[in-house]
Amino acid sequence: MNQLVAITVNTFKETIRDRVLAVIVVFALIMIAAGLWLGSISLGEQGRMMTDFGLVAVTGFGLIVAVFVAAGLVRKEVEKRTVYVLFSKPVSRVAFISGKFVGLCATMATVIAGMGLFLFALVWIVSGRPSGMVLLAVLMIYVQLLAIIAVTIFFSTLGSAILASVLGICVFVAGQLSHNVLALTRLGKNPLTEALSWIVYVIIPNLSAVDVKAGAVGEQTLAWGQIGLWVAYLLAYVVVVLALATLIFRRKEF
Amino acid sequence: MQHDTPRSPATDPAVLVSGLHKTVRVGFRARRLEILKGVDFEVRRGDVFGLLGPNGAGKTTSVKVILGLMRPTSGTVAMGVAGLADVGYLPENPYFYDYLSGREFLGFCARLFALETGERRERVEGLLGDVGLLDAGDVHLRKYSKGMLQRIGIAQALVNDPELVLLDEPMTGLDPVGRVEVKRIIESLRDRGKTVLFNSHILSDVHELCSRIAIMREGRVVWQGTVPEALAESPTLEDFFMKVVTA
Repeated sequence: MNQLVAITVNTFKETIRDRVLAVIVVFALIMIAAGLWLGSISLGEQGRMMTDFGLVAVTGFGLIVAVFVAAGLVRKEVEKRTVYVLFSKPVSRVAFISGKFVGLCATMATVIAGMGLFLFALVWIVSGRPSGMVLLAVLMIYVQLLAIIAVTIFFSTLGSAILASVLGICVFVAGQLSHNVLALTRLGKNPLTEALSWIVYVIIPNLSAVDVKAGAVGEQTLAWGQIGLWVAYLLAYVVVVLALATLIFRRKEF
Repeated sequence: MQHDTPRSPATDPAVLVSGLHKTVRVGFRARRLEILKGVDFEVRRGDVFGLLGPNGAGKTTSVKVILGLMRPTSGTVAMGVAGLADVGYLPENPYFYDYLSGREFLGFCARLFALETGERRERVEGLLGDVGLLDAGDVHLRKYSKGMLQRIGIAQALVNDPELVLLDEPMTGLDPVGRVEVKRIIESLRDRGKTVLFNSHILSDVHELCSRIAIMREGRVVWQGTVPEALAESPTLEDFFMKVVTA
């Protein structure tokens, strides 16, 4: 437990002190604020445009941070040989992978909370009332990004940081579409393509199931019980992916 | 790493390496490269043991196998200490987390050994003092010179007050003052009854510090014994070393 806490705190310090992260966050806040202008040129839909644009910005910049930071977390330790210092001490590979994940999750929580609260405040100013749905939508973006962080860490135990980043982004995009692909193949009534899309559907996390952006702008009524189940599914998915990453990392020599 | 059945601590060697082989696959065609070809040596308790050899002889690989950073293809490593909790290690050309200060880094390492907060703080301050970095404790590691990094590296290797200390080229890149400081640290470890195994190319330091040495060549230990035994065969350790590695 001590090892896990130590690695978590160290990873949090490593990522939160990265100047590139600060630049990305500042740029994200500027983009969210740019939603004010976008809202001003839309007729009578200023609040909605603002929320929509802001949530997309939170997702996009959150994804950039999640993927590029997660891809480097494990690789950097190996390439810069700090693993020698860690694994010459009684540090388990489970604690290492878990600590890296939890540490980055803490950083992501800080970053996403900062962006989310900024958007929440702007929407409040523009529409004249606070919108709890904006905060809930931001929370669901965070849950999606947890799965992407886990997947990217998994890929980084297999290959280079660039490959892990690219695959992390691919999984994010596929995760937004996997539900639709399954629905479309069902229409085709071909058992082979349906079976294949089922396999993809199981491997790729279904991120669209917890996407509540449409609910946040009032376009959709949300079934919270079902969303809660999908959140539990994504958290279980994270555990499985991290377990696989640990299995692969245990076989590595330095 | 395999461990033998525990024996009496007084008679147990600190490290016993027997018949160690290590083969790795390199390149696109996964060509087999045998790095260790049957390494045998014994580090006795309380020894300052020098592992010598030209570049590529297999010294660092042997140390990595002892630590479990690499798995042996065959052979055994028996440790006379209570696992990694009782071992300290300084890698060659160490790189540490440059976003941490020296104090934070040592605190992080101490935490990995589950030291209590008070003990952790005391140990960190003591070690910063021992390696002469008390004033630079709050400076980020990216601003440390090579000598300072080497010293903080030694401090992290000692954070758990280990019985066995493995130092890979601890004098490399140090100026004369830094070398003297590192030598003093090794002497103080020896005086406290700790076992030290270090790799080095600097034979004058080996002569000064080591009680026993092993010389490696092309993945094998070709000679081991005490420094006086080596000096009985040649006028200087350098001559003896050249004679052994070129034989």
